[in-house]
Amino acid sequence: MGSKVTSKPAAVKQKQSIRQILSQILMVASVLTSAFMLWKGLSLATNCESPVVVVLSGSMEPAFYRGDILFLHNGYSPIEVGEVTVYKVKDRDIPIVHRVMNVHTEDKTNKQYLLTKGDNNPSDDRSLYNKGQLWVEREDILGRVRGYIPKAGMATIYMNDSPKLKYAVLGVLCLFSLVSNE
Amino acid sequence: MYNVLQRISSVTSFGLSALMAMMFAISIITINMSNNPDISVKLHDIKITKGRPDYFDKTSRNAEFARLTFDIDADLSSMFNWNTKQLFAYITVDYPTAKKKNNNVVIWDRIITKKQRSTLRMRKHHNKYLFRDIGLKLRDVEGAKLTFRVNSVPYFGIMQDQVLDSYDITMPQI
Repeated sequence: MGSKVTSKPAAVKQKQSIRQILSQILMVASVLTSAFMLWKGLSLATNCESPVVVVLSGSMEPAFYRGDILFLHNGYSPIEVGEVTVYKVKDRDIPIVHRVMNVHTEDKTNKQYLLTKGDNNPSDDRSLYNKGQLWVEREDILGRVRGYIPKAGMATIYMNDSPKLKYAVLGVLCLFSLVSNE
Repeated sequence: MYNVLQRISSVTSFGLSALMAMMFAISIITINMSNNPDISVKLHDIKITKGRPDYFDKTSRNAEFARLTFDIDADLSSMFNWNTKQLFAYITVDYPTAKKKNNNVVIWDRIITKKQRSTLRMRKHHNKYLFRDIGLKLRDVEGAKLTFRVNSVPYFGIMQDQVLDSYDITMPQI
């Protein structure tokens, strides 16, 4: 009789804890997926592959420093002179944030030939383009800088510089989200 | 009930969201803050020369280059508010050609980071950057304009572009 009474709550407790773990995992998954959805939604709304970027070099100083966060919008309208754009030279991995200094728009096709330059660089970007390439075109532009937050992206730079730190932070975050209640 | 970690996390999260709210408010308030900059650009002369060796741009050898001489009097101090990090002041030549309906070439720029240095007085200044067309000719160009523009970069918030003044210019025909 006595043993029956004591065993029942134990069974209930075990069941609840399995459910708790499952719901905890579900919650983590929902946080991850909603973040992903938000990112992709923003990407669709701005027509920009990655609408938030971190500045990696000092070529646009004193406007943007290493670690600053830029909000991009691409849209479909033609590029205007003086805009700060993010572009990628074909067959290169790293996108570049520089200002558009020359714009030449074709009559019928609206095709644009653009020349860029970093504010802090002495000369234009032809030395960064592919060999023989004189212009950046509209399709190479990934986004145009609209908004700006200083220094907030420093953490991602540190993490990219040392992968061990990245995995440590990720591990700790996962542990916390699984262990903590609510 | 509450341990140290929870306290730290709630304090930092509240602090960060308060900071974000404040910065957002600042960036909204400082958009379109009234400014009345005073600009005058006077063009003296345009000289066209032909051909120039360029390591990256081989077409430069046969292209026409224009050298402009101009005065700038500008007072941009009213464009500085407490969320202005820098003004990127620049002059473009805007012109149509037969094949390209719109061409904008930056010929001069100046980065201004302090209000004390926002008054420009320049005499007989030449273009800082080479001015040539994507085609080779500049002599045939008609309807060209010299435009003074400013791109302002905030400490936090939205970048803004402004066209401040525009002047019709004629390219030399000979």
